[in-house]
Amino acid sequence: MNVTKLAMAVALAVSGVSHAYLYIHGYQHIPTIGTAFVMQASVSFALALLILIGGPSWLQWAAAALAGGALGAFVLSRTVGLFGFSEQGWQPSPHAAMSVVAELTVVGLWAVSVIGHRLVGHRFGRPDTRYA
Amino acid sequence: MTDAPHAMNRRQLIRHGAWFGAAVGLAVVGGEVISHVAGTADAARIQGRPTLRFAQVSDSHIGFLGKANSNVASSFGQAIDRINNLGYTPDFVIHTGDLTHLATPGQFDQVKQMMTGLRTPHVFTVPGEHDSIDDGGQKYRSAFGAGTRGAGWYSFDIAGVHVIALVNTLNLKKLGHLGVDQLEFVAKDVAPLPSDTPIIVFSHIPLFAMYPDWGWGTDDAAQALSYLRRFSSVTCLNGHVHQLFSKTEGNVTFHSGTTTAYPLPPPGDGPAPKPVTLPAGKLHDALGIREVSYTRGHTTLALKDKALQ
Repeated sequence: MNVTKLAMAVALAVSGVSHAYLYIHGYQHIPTIGTAFVMQASVSFALALLILIGGPSWLQWAAAALAGGALGAFVLSRTVGLFGFSEQGWQPSPHAAMSVVAELTVVGLWAVSVIGHRLVGHRFGRPDTRYA
Repeated sequence: MTDAPHAMNRRQLIRHGAWFGAAVGLAVVGGEVISHVAGTADAARIQGRPTLRFAQVSDSHIGFLGKANSNVASSFGQAIDRINNLGYTPDFVIHTGDLTHLATPGQFDQVKQMMTGLRTPHVFTVPGEHDSIDDGGQKYRSAFGAGTRGAGWYSFDIAGVHVIALVNTLNLKKLGHLGVDQLEFVAKDVAPLPSDTPIIVFSHIPLFAMYPDWGWGTDDAAQALSYLRRFSSVTCLNGHVHQLFSKTEGNVTFHSGTTTAYPLPPPGDGPAPKPVTLPAGKLHDALGIREVSYTRGHTTLALKDKALQ
């Protein structure tokens, strides 16, 4: 098992658990945000599982897009608001911090994986295996 | 085309399609499981019967005449029907201000009569700035001020929850204002309460800075909230902004409620908060009521907003 993929799956699962926990414990009642939370959690779990069992590399791109979107939504909710919803700082603690760290990890691992793959491919003239 | 370096053959397409299908399928199943768990958790909460259940209605603006809603009395009547058909009797109903549009005796009489149709043991109100246009709230207090203190503020305890009704629509400059007397009232009111007492505060104008440029905030709210910092659960409910909005600041959660009259634009959308005329058939989606329940042992209240549709 590739360590990067394993770490990415674990980070996705952590982000999914945080969002699911918050959804179950109150966020389900917040218009639009509740739906977004349950979608974030369920897609995170699905991607984590498929990456773990050796799915194709576009799953990691999807994971990075999901994590990047969640980070963007986090920033909006702390600044201009998101669908009429806003929060302050690292509330609700510790889930806000947990999910931000997990999502940064996903994006970071994806970047390392993509850059590393391209560098190796470039150096050794390996064929493109994006669709393999 | 088949010679393109990155082209996908049929087998690869089928394989990726299968992975994509698996991702969608798992996401749907995961969503269902989480929703089910959330529903079960909610049901368990409800089975234990919430300690307190009440409804919020706001900004009925009885007497408003305009394109945005040609019959505010009818939509307020529908809001009352909605509350009467929740499937249980709420412990009380709060109206978070702007009961009337122009604070005339006839409008106060009409809204008061309509509210007698609410099937609940208690109705609590606070004035909006429309209820105190020309007399500092005298007519409002004549109609709804029985048992209140100062310029209409008060508090009460119900089912172990302490509820505070604040008036921040008098002495308005741009933002809402509580004033020294009311701040003193809040300080003394909460002083004897243990810190684990759940606190609910309701007012017309938001107690948080939702959009100060439009007056959607209260200039001395920070002082009032400082007296509530030590409590583990503080929930502030308000009207005035005619739209749903939530915000958490430390231990305090703020929830703006919608209206039963007409929508206002989102914060900062346009030069001023003027009534928005929606396309035919869309108005009732923007109007609504709110159910609030509190279960002992939980730090947050459960809110459910329901459109009039």
